[in-house]
Amino acid sequence: MSDERDHPHLRSRNYPIREDMAYQLKVWRFERVGWYVLVLVVVLGLVGVFSRGLVSSRDVRSDDGKIRVEYEMFHRNGSTNPMKITVTAKPDSAVELELADQLLEGFSIETLQPEPLRSRSSSQGIRFWLHTDLNGLATLYITLRGDGLGLFRSQIASPGTSGVRLEQFVFP
Amino acid sequence: MDSVLRAGAMYLALMVLFKIAGRRSLAELTTFDFVLLLMIGEATQQALLGDDFSLTNSMIVIVTLVAIDVGLSLLKQRSGWISRLIDGEPTIIVENGKLLHERLRRARLLEADVMEAARSSQGIEKLEEIKFAILERNGKISVIAQED
Repeated sequence: MSDERDHPHLRSRNYPIREDMAYQLKVWRFERVGWYVLVLVVVLGLVGVFSRGLVSSRDVRSDDGKIRVEYEMFHRNGSTNPMKITVTAKPDSAVELELADQLLEGFSIETLQPEPLRSRSSSQGIRFWLHTDLNGLATLYITLRGDGLGLFRSQIASPGTSGVRLEQFVFP
Repeated sequence: MDSVLRAGAMYLALMVLFKIAGRRSLAELTTFDFVLLLMIGEATQQALLGDDFSLTNSMIVIVTLVAIDVGLSLLKQRSGWISRLIDGEPTIIVENGKLLHERLRRARLLEADVMEAARSSQGIEKLEEIKFAILERNGKISVIAQED
């Protein structure tokens, strides 16, 4: 830094204006570092750190493989993202699915397809009953809108299976 | 409450962003700079208002922005330090007909920019005719001609 200030071009002048080149050099350095930060933000945006991208999209299964959830880990307040839940159970029967913990605190459900056979509130969140097809699969498509801010931990479970734990972050 | 916070956060974010962009970025508006400015305005609008398009909300946002702006100008009057932080300082870029290259490079300026300002403000044709060129706080270049 001292050699920078010794450069004849970078020494402070007093006429026609009084300069403080030490300060001006700091400003220029801030602009330089700021430019790198901007590029970093662009790159992070591209890979999906601010939702919808490689880093954000998750596809998780429960330990026994019976529940599969595809969702976005990063959301933005006010915007919507899809979530797809697939449950494996006995063919052609009703299967219960519970969305529990903080999911409904951080998000509101905009759409829910197909319409469940029944739904009911539970102490933890909300329960749905879905009808499985002949292969024993039932799929629920949800559109979530981020309402809260910050980190939300939730759980998607079905009786008799190990549930899936989700962590989702909502940006302002 | 959130309208005030939104407006405050947006004011601060844009101020830091345009500090990073440097004082020259929007000083001399080219056609494309103007389009860019409009696009930034469009992108900002949604975040400022959210999903509330009521008269009250827009007035709260506008009042907050103007209040911050007036508040900052009052602060600038009181403290030289804050004034310098927000507005910066002028910088000499041509001295007695010679370009100060190290300064130009850091300010991301070209000789052509200096000559453009010299022609348009003083009708100067050659670099040697410039006594001083100063990059002002608002990003404009002011030129003082050599006395004959």
